[in-house]
Amino acid sequence: MIFDSYEAYKQTGFKPKACILGSGPAGMTIARKLGTAGIPIVVLEAGSREFSEESQDFYRGKTVGDFYFDLDITRLRFMGGSSNHWAGWCRVLDKQDFEPKAWAPDTGWPISRADIEPYLGEVHDILELPAFRPDVPVSDDIRWVQLIKSPAVRFGEKYADELDKSKNIAVVLNTYATELTGDGKRITGAKLWSNGQDAGTFSADYFVACTGGLENSRLLLWSNERSNGGVVPNAAALGRYWMEHPTFEGGNAVLANYSEFEVDGSNEAFFSPTLAAMERLQIMNFGIRLIESPYPNVKKLIADLACTAPNMAEWMSFQLDQRLRCAAQLYVAWEQAPLASNRIELSKTDVDHAGVPRIELRWKKSPLERRTLLEGLRLFGTTMAQKNLGRVRIDDWISNGGDYPTNEETAGHHHMGGTRMGTDVLKSVVDANCKVHGMDNFYVGGSSVFCTSGQCNPTTTITALACRLGEHLGKVIAV
Amino acid sequence: MSRFIRKMSRRAIMQALITLPALSLFRSQQPVVDPDEIVEINGWILRRSDLA
Ligand SMILES: Cc1cc2nc3c(=O)[nH]c(=O)nc-3n(C[C@H](O)[C@H](O)[C@H](O)COP(=O)(O)OP(=O)(O)OC[C@H]3O[C@@H](n4cnc5c(N)ncnc54)[C@H](O)[C@@H]3O)c2cc1C
Repeated sequence: MIFDSYEAYKQTGFKPKACILGSGPAGMTIARKLGTAGIPIVVLEAGSREFSEESQDFYRGKTVGDFYFDLDITRLRFMGGSSNHWAGWCRVLDKQDFEPKAWAPDTGWPISRADIEPYLGEVHDILELPAFRPDVPVSDDIRWVQLIKSPAVRFGEKYADELDKSKNIAVVLNTYATELTGDGKRITGAKLWSNGQDAGTFSADYFVACTGGLENSRLLLWSNERSNGGVVPNAAALGRYWMEHPTFEGGNAVLANYSEFEVDGSNEAFFSPTLAAMERLQIMNFGIRLIESPYPNVKKLIADLACTAPNMAEWMSFQLDQRLRCAAQLYVAWEQAPLASNRIELSKTDVDHAGVPRIELRWKKSPLERRTLLEGLRLFGTTMAQKNLGRVRIDDWISNGGDYPTNEETAGHHHMGGTRMGTDVLKSVVDANCKVHGMDNFYVGGSSVFCTSGQCNPTTTITALACRLGEHLGKVIAV
Repeated sequence: MSRFIRKMSRRAIMQALITLPALSLFRSQQPVVDPDEIVEINGWILRRSDLA
């Protein structure tokens, strides 16, 4: 069942067991899992079936620190959430991403990759993915990894029909949960805003916040402030340890043989470090995206190479004469060290139309990340040269310690952390089952529960965690 | 003293001693170059043999 307003839904007398806030990949996956298990579920979705400027306006906010995207640009507020414009790059976090790293404080998850592996079959169906091939070691330091470009499943479109026909799932559009109320043990209700006005309070036995990797923190911070700690009784880490995948062009490469690494449909291949290399260099995880360069760039690159390494340049020119494609751009995306100082706060001056304070995001890249960028490119360049696979040139601003450019990719639109998973209530908000510490009936879905970000895009892992949470909740509710 | 040195004239020994430091100096001016060594020049990560 899909309702276009809360008013319409109220007239049905539907009695849900659980209420899910948000219909993005996380919320929709959990709802479908519970619905399939025969549990009546309501999904409250702030936006409508389509994009609208009015709805997006609720997402405006401010960033303090490093340059970042406008907060109403980096996500979408309507049915299906940001899956309505995601690019569809998929990979699950690596086994090593879940492990604590002695050289990076506050890393390590309370679960391992084995805990989400049983759900990967479902995830492949949902995201329409073929099987991943295993990583290929290129050297002791570098792995050739696979990211699969899914057909960028738009969750709203893909599941609209199924949800409309469902007897167990009611999706209620244009219904914004402005605040949760709680008594320090249980969530007692959700205050709603619909059609531009206060729409009363909604109650259910269980609540799951799936409002996105920025909005989950905002909703919980505001709710907790209003209920004097009754929604997140252990709030020391709430909003903190927020992470992105900073992404910049890092250099170029000339390749001995382009067919050495089979590229995907976008002429791209991906490389990451081994755990041993990360440990030796004390750096975070990173991903190098190698993209075939257009012909004019190749000539420029070889002219530059000729000044430094004539032998190499001569060989390259020969390859060019043969019209071999042999140059590539290198983009680097990396894992941010989780820092409590990178955080979401509530604005003290700016509120949305419903009176909820907007986000103030405090975000800065750390010196450890700067080292990860430079050492990562060096590591990749060294492997390429040692194995005679090609040669790498690192961009000057990176070698010379210059400022981060502001006219580049910047980051991945991946919003992680803020309600991270853990056992220490001072450093985490939810437990290994995504249940808010100290609360009996309150769970969180989405990448806000990530403890660390790894190097890969988050939605495959979000969907796997959502399948796991859906299954867990199904058992809890059935008792 | 070895029989070999005893047979040499004092002058020949002196000459040999004088040339020794010069030889070692000459050797240190020509370090053994590993063509596979990785070097970073102008942002390029190269093998030394690329530089010829
Ligand atoms: C341009 C772009 C490209 C991307 N490319 C990739 C990629 O290639 N690979 C990848 O893995 N990821 C990618 N992502 C990230 C991906 O889109 C997100 O990880 C994913 O959508 C997160 O899912 P979610 O369900 O947690 O949150 P969202 O998709 O943000 O969904 C949250 C939902 O909650 C609703 N909502 C918000 N607040 C409330 C409230 N208070 N009450 C009720 N409802 C509310 C919203 O309207 C929305 O529908 C990309 C993102 C962008 C913006």
